Amino acid sequence: MNPRIWARDLALGARFAVTGGRSGVLRTLLTAAGVGFGVALLLLASSLPNMLFQREVRESARAPDASHRMIEEPGPGTFLHYTQYSSYRGAALSGLLLKPEGPGAAVPPGTDGVPAAGEMLVSPALGRLLGSPEGALLKERLPYEVVGTIGEPGLIGPNELRYVAHAPFLTTDNYDGRGLRYGWSVPEEPMNAFLLLLVVIAYVVLLLPVLVFIGTAARFGGEQRDRRLAALRLVGADNATTRRVAAGESLAGALLGLVVGAGLFLASRQFAGTVEIWDVNAFPSDVVPHTLLALLVLAVVPVSSVVVTLLALRGVAIEPLGVVRTSTPRRRRLWWRLLILAAGAALLVPAVGGIQVEDTGIDTFTIGAGTVLVLIGLTGLLPWLVEAAVKRLRGGPVSWQLAVRRLQLSSGTAARAVSGIVVAAAGAIALQMLFQAMEHTFTAETGHDTSRAQLQTSLDARDGADARRTIDRLAAVEGVTGVIGTVDSHVYRHGPLKPGEEFRPIAPFSVGDCASLREYAVLPSCADGDVFVVVPPKGATDAPDAPRIRETARPGALVTLRDPAETKGTVPEWRIPATARVVTARPDPVGLHRYGVLATPRAIGAAPLENPRSEVLVRLDPSLPDAPEVVRNAALEIDPTATVRGLSDTEQSSKFLSVRTGILVGSTLTMLLVAASLLVATLEQLRDRKRLLSSLVAFGTRRTTLGCSVLWQTAVPIALGLALAVAGGLGLGSVLLAMTGQRVHDWWVFLPVVGVGAALIAAVTLLSLPLLWRLMRADGLRTE
Amino acid sequence: MNTAPLLEATGLSKAYGPTAALSGADFALRAGEVVAVMGPSGSGKSTLLHCLAGIVRPDAGTLAYDGRDITALSDTARSALRRTDFGFVFQFGQLVPELSCVENVALPLRLNGEKRKAAEARALEWLARLEVDDTAAKRPGEISGGQGQRVAVARALVSSPRVIFADEPTGALDSLNGERVMRLLTDASRDTGAAVVLVTHEARVAAWSDREVVVRDGSVRSSEWAA
Repeated sequence: MNPRIWARDLALGARFAVTGGRSGVLRTLLTAAGVGFGVALLLLASSLPNMLFQREVRESARAPDASHRMIEEPGPGTFLHYTQYSSYRGAALSGLLLKPEGPGAAVPPGTDGVPAAGEMLVSPALGRLLGSPEGALLKERLPYEVVGTIGEPGLIGPNELRYVAHAPFLTTDNYDGRGLRYGWSVPEEPMNAFLLLLVVIAYVVLLLPVLVFIGTAARFGGEQRDRRLAALRLVGADNATTRRVAAGESLAGALLGLVVGAGLFLASRQFAGTVEIWDVNAFPSDVVPHTLLALLVLAVVPVSSVVVTLLALRGVAIEPLGVVRTSTPRRRRLWWRLLILAAGAALLVPAVGGIQVEDTGIDTFTIGAGTVLVLIGLTGLLPWLVEAAVKRLRGGPVSWQLAVRRLQLSSGTAARAVSGIVVAAAGAIALQMLFQAMEHTFTAETGHDTSRAQLQTSLDARDGADARRTIDRLAAVEGVTGVIGTVDSHVYRHGPLKPGEEFRPIAPFSVGDCASLREYAVLPSCADGDVFVVVPPKGATDAPDAPRIRETARPGALVTLRDPAETKGTVPEWRIPATARVVTARPDPVGLHRYGVLATPRAIGAAPLENPRSEVLVRLDPSLPDAPEVVRNAALEIDPTATVRGLSDTEQSSKFLSVRTGILVGSTLTMLLVAASLLVATLEQLRDRKRLLSSLVAFGTRRTTLGCSVLWQTAVPIALGLALAVAGGLGLGSVLLAMTGQRVHDWWVFLPVVGVGAALIAAVTLLSLPLLWRLMRADGLRTE
Repeated sequence: MNTAPLLEATGLSKAYGPTAALSGADFALRAGEVVAVMGPSGSGKSTLLHCLAGIVRPDAGTLAYDGRDITALSDTARSALRRTDFGFVFQFGQLVPELSCVENVALPLRLNGEKRKAAEARALEWLARLEVDDTAAKRPGEISGGQGQRVAVARALVSSPRVIFADEPTGALDSLNGERVMRLLTDASRDTGAAVVLVTHEARVAAWSDREVVVRDGSVRSSEWAA
């Protein structure tokens, strides 16, 4: 191999690519556009890890530093902080509440200074929301005056709803911590196995069709190129030279495609902020491809274009008087295609049942490689399937006959173009199945009973009476149809510590009305004044303190209402009535069991409980969509550090719905990419058959006949491809689900994907028709 | 021949952009006659043929087929006329490469709505008549140029047309094959009573015709039709 000769021939090919007349330039531009689109997608995909990493970097950079040591005493540079997580109409909202303790308190990232008491800085998105009628209800929740905007360094995404407020009410009783500066290293939260699996599959599914497309794009205009190569042979070029020249032509298109792709990528990253999936969006500056992956793209694209061209010329003899394709194409063999599938299955099947959802490490390589092999195997199977199927097709009208015969003659071209659809569709179906199982798993794991309550909040109170008033206030909020409210604290075993005891045994203590207590335990009967003891059963997995609870919460036992070790003066005591009944716990609406002592108000009155809290579960009027926001507002008004948690699984479901829509949109985009190459292939084929089409028109062939012929020619391979994709996708999805011990929840997930495929058939046909009509003019018969 | 013309054109004009391909051409064809249209390259021979066959609508002039003005017909009606009454042979055969030879020959019949088996049976008869029945199952790429052109002639004749339009039918053949194709074409047309419009620039091909017309600069300059 002489590099100089290679360089010369490749350069000659590149020259042909840009100086080959109108059609040559068009071909190069088509290749560049196709490759460019693919490269842009690859670069965007390879930016994803960095995008997510930068979010973490930003998150940790703005977090108050609490990592190096506990700051016990206030100082000139210290501040108290509390991070408030909330939501507004389904969108995540977070706020950093600050109380500087000295003049030198650190300034939060993205701000010019700590706002004055009662003031806040807001993110641009929050600013817009608060300034609009849609934000009126939220305005009530944030009792601070907006005095400025948080800059990019203080945000994790351009659409984030975030505020930094000066909260004078923060104390060491209700704070998260005392800080000296911002920025600390947050240990990376490991992804669970299910998510990891999804990410691996999503990558493979997105990237494979793009590579297939790049391979197809490199073959654009093959027949014109063949004629040019024959002309080269006529003037003395040898066979090897013509192949190198052909490779050079493709290389030029691919290199131009790289430039186009880079341009498209740079342009599209500007819109990164406007796209939001699963509450995640990114600043354009964070959309930076992973260096290694980007280099891989830079290397793989041109090399693959050369390799694909040389492979395409394998069965072709370029002779001086024309290009001769191997007259009888070799019969496609099935065995090696099945072998690839089997190899993929061999990698995947051993992992069946071996992954637990809570696992944080999975064998990414094996699963990724197995999935890639299965998808490649399906792609490889398609040409065989198309050939085997069209060989058996007979009869039908002229349009059908023309299409079928064309496919019988060159099924490879059609199969190649459709192979991208197979990968995208099969992958999308497998992903949809995974997501459905994930949705089911995660919803089931919450254990929430949303028929009993939809919101849960826990608020600090000064004493039992104050806690009771809080429950009543929340019960009176507009849109609340009922509350399950208890005043919660603890009771301690009476008497001195026993030998070997470091802590006094303790049991949870809840005071509430009978209706509320019935939500926590199975009560045979209940009247005000009754007391119940709920003892965790032996082996209860959700009660690690079971022995201590059993020791403390006993009918007739004397307990203290505060920790004697922490209390100065008289420690209030209380005897659990001997008549207290031992009852069985029932899961509360959150899905948890509450053990310990349950008492009705008359049994203990407004006893001096230790650090009482109002535990409130709220039932909402479903006809008022803003009811959760009104309750959140009320809770924060009572306690500015309150957290209100939504129990409804609809929020979770809507997230999954958006992800499912995302997958469908992603696979549709990928299939559009494939459809584009199919369209180009169809248009090229039509252009190459200009004279033949004109002659068919000459003897009276109807437009509809030829139009239908194009439709069949597109529909048959796509339909076969989709059938293969459905079978393969369902199979792959089942295996991937079996890995995590999940079952298939819906076998019909493939319907939307098939719908998209059908739409593509129609689109490719419709878009081919204008050219077909044009080529059916008699001009094609002119020879002069 | 004193019968009324089957196909008669008067003052046909056709321009492709600024270039006039036909300017006031007159032409007449009687049933069953073979007329050679001669002329140098670019003279407008093929355009005349395309206009006469109703493939291209002339910019001006009248064209009557069997007493009907076919320039006034819709595209669909002209297509139907071509399917039923006209047959075509082109320089390079223009056979559909995916179809076998018998399927190619049966194509005009199938386009006319005939059942596949019946159409292919008739096609086989024509292939035998043109001495290429051994190519029936082969695809056009698997047969010689001469055989291909005979298959094309069979395709032109299979629907029993009243007029056959042949555009340089021997242009891509050697003289021996050319002679053979012309003999088969003219014999078959005479047997079936079909008229032939034969576009050629070769005198020895034109010699197979009953009369010749010469097209020069878009006009029919010499003609023996009025004689």
